Amino acid sequence: MNGGQRTIGWIGLGILAAFAAVALASSWIPHDPSHLFRGQYLRPPSRHHLLGTNQIGQDLASQMLEGARYSLLVALMAGAGALVIGTTVGLVAGWCRGWVDTAVMRTVDLLLALPRLPLLLLLGLYVGRDTPSVALVIALLFWPATARAVRSQVLTLRRRNHVRAAIGFGAGSLHIVCRHLVPALAPILTTQFLLASGRAVSLEAGLAFLGVGDPNRMSWGAIMQQARSTPGLFYGPAWFWWMLPPILAIVLVLLGMTFLTVSLDHRFNRQLSRHVPGAA
Amino acid sequence: MTTVTNPAAPAPAPAAAGPPGWSVVTRVGSVPAGRRRLRYAAGRVIVYLFMVWVTVTVVFALPRLLPGDPLESRTDINGSMSPERHAALTATYHLDRPLVTQYRTYLTGLVHGDFGVSIARDVPVGTLLRQTMPWTLLLVGAAIVLSSAVGFAAGTGAAWKRGGRTDRELLIGMTVLNAVPEYVLAVVLLIVFVAVIPVAPIGGGATPFTQSYGILWKMQDVGRHLALPVFALSLGMMATKFLLVRNTTVGELGQEYMVAARAKGLSPRRMRYRHAGRNVLLPFVTVVGLQVAFAAGGALFVETVFAYPGVASIMLPAVNQLDFPVIEATFTILAVTVLTANLVVDLLYARLDPRVATA
Repeated sequence: MNGGQRTIGWIGLGILAAFAAVALASSWIPHDPSHLFRGQYLRPPSRHHLLGTNQIGQDLASQMLEGARYSLLVALMAGAGALVIGTTVGLVAGWCRGWVDTAVMRTVDLLLALPRLPLLLLLGLYVGRDTPSVALVIALLFWPATARAVRSQVLTLRRRNHVRAAIGFGAGSLHIVCRHLVPALAPILTTQFLLASGRAVSLEAGLAFLGVGDPNRMSWGAIMQQARSTPGLFYGPAWFWWMLPPILAIVLVLLGMTFLTVSLDHRFNRQLSRHVPGAA
Repeated sequence: MTTVTNPAAPAPAPAAAGPPGWSVVTRVGSVPAGRRRLRYAAGRVIVYLFMVWVTVTVVFALPRLLPGDPLESRTDINGSMSPERHAALTATYHLDRPLVTQYRTYLTGLVHGDFGVSIARDVPVGTLLRQTMPWTLLLVGAAIVLSSAVGFAAGTGAAWKRGGRTDRELLIGMTVLNAVPEYVLAVVLLIVFVAVIPVAPIGGGATPFTQSYGILWKMQDVGRHLALPVFALSLGMMATKFLLVRNTTVGELGQEYMVAARAKGLSPRRMRYRHAGRNVLLPFVTVVGLQVAFAAGGALFVETVFAYPGVASIMLPAVNQLDFPVIEATFTILAVTVLTANLVVDLLYARLDPRVATA
């Protein structure tokens, strides 16, 4: 089982690295994703158009590459945003305890209970549909899970001997948080970041898929949305090069993140159980 | 789960241990258990009502704070509207009133079950809801029931045979399913069962122009249209529940009361469902409650993919057109449903595990 977990982790990392490399190779995009090739509508994959063209003659391979950059960008931004907010809130709640903790955790419970997607639709209307706004809104919805995980970890950490020793030596709260808590939280923060990024990828694509994403961006979800709103798509062969690639891309990225999370989780849990008898 | 307490295990004749009615629960603190439970329930209901009010207010305020004009959806083909007509329509929909007045009208309407008139469609929102709501309820209800039943049964089964081949395969499969969003599953199902093997209808809730057909045929028709959307919505939720049930059950199987149950010579079936299963029920019920929110969101995607005539068909256009009354009605109903599900879970939880209310 142990070897399996490790293999899965490397597979996940490999998938993510491949997508990151593709996203970074920006100069390699063969055509302008929005350029219209006249007369070449719904062409199957060929030498000129590796993934064929859509109903208005745009090169789908270029759109996919553009989409990769966009999806990963949103994932990074939203994941980082959720991580920063969640960690700060979780640290404050776990460290201060008392009424601060109660108030914060009630808010977290409340946010976790609300239906996210509809809230996202409403907030998206309000904040806007450009890239930073989409990332911000997703981050605003996904920090509570991180906050809860961080808080419970802080509650156990502060009882550990080295933290109590630091308090005994008269260390300030800020020092303890930066010097002792944050490094110990690193494993949890890594998996939480991966989880939040994965949700960001699927939500961003989902929003675009529903037709409420960033209208100026050619994201994977937007490609799916255009394909889906083409009448009779599934009665012809076009879904094969139009609908399938974005779906495969989304699934692969999500699986990469899941594999990596599972593997890291396993590894960190083992470390934890080695250092703290009885944990895990 | 740190103790070996098992609410499902037959109580070892408590009457013999003390005076009649003696139980651990009534002795915690000075207030009797019944009143504690009542106080717990009352507290939950108050929080619930407060949350409903907050939601209703947010749903009212958020779209109105936006720049944009809901009347744009009513412009004619030339994209123009005379100032007089604009003013008249504004007055018709009370959009010229102060926000406080609009808020009061909105709240009064809500209490009376009146959601106003759609601005973009000029149809009472109640009519739109009556046309769409039953479809969404059918879809979400079926998906929750199906995913719960399969998730629970498969989860306890896999835990029972943990480490075996089926367990490992299920574990991997469910982890993958758990990671994939429901709109991806929906499109994949569409590709497989409509494009590759054409066995299912491509979308919609029922075949149109079939009013003269018999009731049995109609039910079958609705079922045929429902199958793919329900699968698309269930698979993800089923995977989440499977993973939870499997891992919790594995933990429970190692508990001492299970050893005792085995020593007593209970049948495996009884041990699996009455003893281990009963303790897994607590986290399971919580997740089922939380998944109502998830299903409500997922239904939007699934309905869109299959052109299902549910609430998504009025909600998404309303968001794009800033159709205030429809936005308010759909989002309020959705949020209140989710909050109610959470309340039910909280109360049910206290019933399944009395320690929640009395501790």
